[in-house]
Amino acid sequence: MLMLAAFAAPIAAQSVRPPGNAVNLDDGIEDGPSNALGDISDTEIWDNFRGGNPRELFAAAPEGQVMTTTGQQWRVVREKLIRKYLGWLPVIVIGLLAVFYLIRGPMKITGGRSGKTIPRFTLSARVAHWFMAGVFIILGLTGLIILLGRVVIAPYLGLEFNSVLASAAMQGHNLFGPVFVFALIWLFIKFVRGNFFQWVDLKWIFKLGGFFGGHVSSRQFNFGEKSWFWMVILGGILISVTGIIMLFPTLVDDVRWLQLSTILHALGAVGLIAVAIGHIYVGTIGMEGSIDSMLKGEVDENWAKEHHDLWYEEVTGKSATAPETTEDAP
Amino acid sequence: MSFLNFVEGPLFTFAAAVFVLAALWRLIGIIRIGRTKDISPPKGSAAVGFIKGNLRHFIPRGIFAKRTMVHLVGGYGFHLGLFVLVFFGVYHIDFLNERILGFSWPALPRWAFLLTSAIAFSGLIMLWVRRISDPVMRLISDKDDHIGSWLTFLVMLSGCFALEQAHDSLRATHMLLVDIWLIYFPFSRLMHGFTFFLSRGQSGATYGRKGIDL
Repeated sequence: MLMLAAFAAPIAAQSVRPPGNAVNLDDGIEDGPSNALGDISDTEIWDNFRGGNPRELFAAAPEGQVMTTTGQQWRVVREKLIRKYLGWLPVIVIGLLAVFYLIRGPMKITGGRSGKTIPRFTLSARVAHWFMAGVFIILGLTGLIILLGRVVIAPYLGLEFNSVLASAAMQGHNLFGPVFVFALIWLFIKFVRGNFFQWVDLKWIFKLGGFFGGHVSSRQFNFGEKSWFWMVILGGILISVTGIIMLFPTLVDDVRWLQLSTILHALGAVGLIAVAIGHIYVGTIGMEGSIDSMLKGEVDENWAKEHHDLWYEEVTGKSATAPETTEDAP
Repeated sequence: MSFLNFVEGPLFTFAAAVFVLAALWRLIGIIRIGRTKDISPPKGSAAVGFIKGNLRHFIPRGIFAKRTMVHLVGGYGFHLGLFVLVFFGVYHIDFLNERILGFSWPALPRWAFLLTSAIAFSGLIMLWVRRISDPVMRLISDKDDHIGSWLTFLVMLSGCFALEQAHDSLRATHMLLVDIWLIYFPFSRLMHGFTFFLSRGQSGATYGRKGIDL
C-alpha cells in the first residue's frame, strides 16, 4: 500500500475515469418528459417514495412507490455511528496496550530460558496460522481504507488520492475475501483440537490470566487463546457470510439484508482487528518466548512450565513443578 | 509522454528485450556446459529417461505426498493459477493483442478470473510462509528467493488493485512492477520457470541411461 501510495500520488489527479464496467445512463435518451415539473407537490412525491416496498431493490414498486426509507436509516448508522466512532476502537486498544506495557512491561520467563525446547506447533499448523495472518492483514488494511478513507485519508491527502486508494483497496478486498474463507476453514481444522473450553479455564479467568501476577495452570491453550480462537472462527463466519452477500448481492431478495450485512461486516471486522492487536502484543513484545512457538514451532521448557504447565506434563510426562534433574549425571 | 505510456511503452519494450535475451543467454549457457561423457555401456535410453524424469516429477511419490502437502497444493495452485491469469485474463489478452501479437483468444469470465486469482494468491502465500516456517527451507533460502517471491506477489497484488481500470496510476504501478519483474527474472531463481525441465531431464536421463525405472 505504501508503495502504491508513492507511485499513485503524483499522477492521481489527471488520470481518473469511470470504472471499465460503468454504464452511461444517458445513452438512448433523446428528449426529456414534456411535463418535467409534474402535477404533484414535493411532499406528495416524497410520501410516495417513503411508502415504497422495501423488498424491491430497484424502482419497480407499484403506484409510484420507488424509494425505501431503510436506506436513509442505514446511511445514518453508517455515517454517524460506524464511520465516526468504530475506527477509534483499534486506536483505543493500542493506547491501552501501550499504557499496560509501560506499567507492567513484558512478561519475562521466570528463571529465564532453560535452553531446552519442546515442540508446540507442527509446520502445517504454523503455515495455516501465518497464512491467515497474512490474509487478515491485507483484508484489514484494505477494509479500513474502504470504511474510513473518506474521513481519515481524504481530508489530509485529498479526495483524488483517497479515490485511487479506495479503488485499489476495494478490488484487493473483494479478491482476498474468498481467500479468507479458505484460510478460516484451514485454521479451524488445524487448531480446533484443544480449543474447547474446560473447567481449568475458570481458574484462568479468576486469576485474570496471570497478567497481574500469580501462576495460572492451563493445557495446550489457555482461556484467552481459546476465546481468541472462537472469536476468529465465529467472527470470521460472520464477516465471511456478510462479505459473500455484499460480493453477490443478488443472493438475497431484500435490500435490508445488504444494509445489515455492511453494518455487521464492519462491526465484526473492526472488532476482530482490535482483538488481533492484543493477540499480536501478547505473541510478540508482551510475553517473552511466545513468538518462538509460531516462528520455530518449539518453545522453551521454562516457558511451557510457566504458561502451559498441564500441557507440558502431558507431552513430556514430567512434573512442571519438580526441580530439574540431570539424567546424564554420573 | 505520461508515466503510464512510458512504463507500457519504452520501458516495457526494454524489459521484455532483457527478459528474452538474458533468459536465452542463460539457457544456451546451461546447455553448452554439457556433461562429462559417460563411458559405461548404456542399459537404457537417456532420451526416454529425460522425458520420463520430467513427467514423473509432476506427481510426488506416495510417501512424500503427505509430508509435502503444503508445498504440493501451494505449488500447483500458484503456478497453474498464475499461468491462467497471465494468459487468460481479459486485460492481459487485450494488452498482448494490441502491443505484441495482433490476435486474441477467449478470456476468462470475471468470476473465474477472481477465483483463479484467489487460488494463485493462496498458493504463493502458502509457499512463502512455508519457506520461512520450515527450518530447513529457512536455512537454504537466501535474499534472491525472498525478493523473487515478494516481487511476484507485488506484481499480482498491483494487478489486482488495478482491476477496476478507473485510475491510470494503478495500472502504471502494475506495469512498472511487471517491467522490474521481467528484468529481474533471468538473473534470479525465477529462471526455474525455464530451467526446471533441464534439471529434471538431467536426473531422468542419468537414471534412464543406467536402466533405472522411474
